[in-house]
Amino acid sequence: MVEKFTTEPIELPPLDHSFERCDLIFYGLDHSGASFEARVFMDARGVSRDAGDDHRAYVGSFFILGHGGCFGDVGHCDIPAERDPFDLRPAHQLEPAIRILTVTDAVRALLEHDVKAAKVTVVAQTEGRAVNDVLAFERVRLATYA
Amino acid sequence: MSGASPPTTRLAPRALRHRRSARRLTQGQQEDFRQAISGAQGVGDDRGYQYWAGIHGLPLPISCVHHRELFLPWHRAYLYFFEKALQDQVAGVTLPWWDWTNHAEGVPGPYARRKVNGRKNPLFDSPIQTSGRESPGQTRTTRAPGDPSRLPSAAAVEAVLENRDFFTFQTQLESIHDGVHVWVAGTMSSIATSAYDPLFWAHHTMIDRLWYLWPLRHPGAGVPASLLDRALAPFPMTVRDTLEVSQLGYDYAAAQGPGHG
Repeated sequence: MVEKFTTEPIELPPLDHSFERCDLIFYGLDHSGASFEARVFMDARGVSRDAGDDHRAYVGSFFILGHGGCFGDVGHCDIPAERDPFDLRPAHQLEPAIRILTVTDAVRALLEHDVKAAKVTVVAQTEGRAVNDVLAFERVRLATYA
Repeated sequence: MSGASPPTTRLAPRALRHRRSARRLTQGQQEDFRQAISGAQGVGDDRGYQYWAGIHGLPLPISCVHHRELFLPWHRAYLYFFEKALQDQVAGVTLPWWDWTNHAEGVPGPYARRKVNGRKNPLFDSPIQTSGRESPGQTRTTRAPGDPSRLPSAAAVEAVLENRDFFTFQTQLESIHDGVHVWVAGTMSSIATSAYDPLFWAHHTMIDRLWYLWPLRHPGAGVPASLLDRALAPFPMTVRDTLEVSQLGYDYAAAQGPGHG
């Protein structure tokens, strides 16, 4: 778990590629701990933990309502590594989440400035900002829709 | 007729009931709703407020569905059964919605006042049963709301409603939903305890209303067939059973977008 994470540069669509919409899709988000806001920045340098929506590289935010910790016995909150296809029980409560952030205008603005690839920085902020090390996700991708 | 129960005054009217904006409830509607909540708080079994709040989170099992594909249908079923429990207390009451895109006051008035008519307001806070607490000292719900300007905007909700794909719509709406939980803070900011706060129900009724509005914007769009026969445990319902709110006995008072509450 981290408070802030910056990806490797993500390739932007070519300038001549017309698209109506562009989404950053975050996969595999952990939601086991405290609730948080994840502020997202593209092509940013030096984003601080307090950076807000007035930062020039801010492209939006998403939220995660967290479980607030584990209230069961040992192993209660361990997500099974594999699932038996005949197991009809509901999915584990902590199966990771997906978030979709629409960033069409931000990507267009980057393209206008001749940016061909951009790092994505995500900064988590919890209530009272006491413990912000709540951020964990598996991958992020940029999807465009014509 | 010996042994028969006396006629009850609690028979529900056999008509569609309208859920209304919390800000537009008449004084009488507010009083009926407070009575229903207080009545449910006074019932210590599986008809009572604590039982229903506990289904969402603590005590285990945490039955709510978040961050997964049944988020909207599961919570529609949950609201339906809770509303039925309230109607057992006061016939005809319905769950009000909190239109948080209206930033005029943040927490709506009926839920924000500690006292009403000199009495404790049951919509302001709630006890938390011992087995529902995250820590031993958490005996009642609390809130620490943020600046109302940080609540979701009508434009943000409109953008979500523009999605034609159910999964994208639901995922983006859930993020907005999560943000309101974070904004209210306190008890509401944890899945384990949030349903104990009376404001939870108004927030989720708003989410349910937005799902109600979504297919009106996109005729032909709907929940994928692969989900329709999925069960919504612990409720005796499938996703299919939740699709048409008129079949569940309610409608929304204003079939318009955000900003009309």
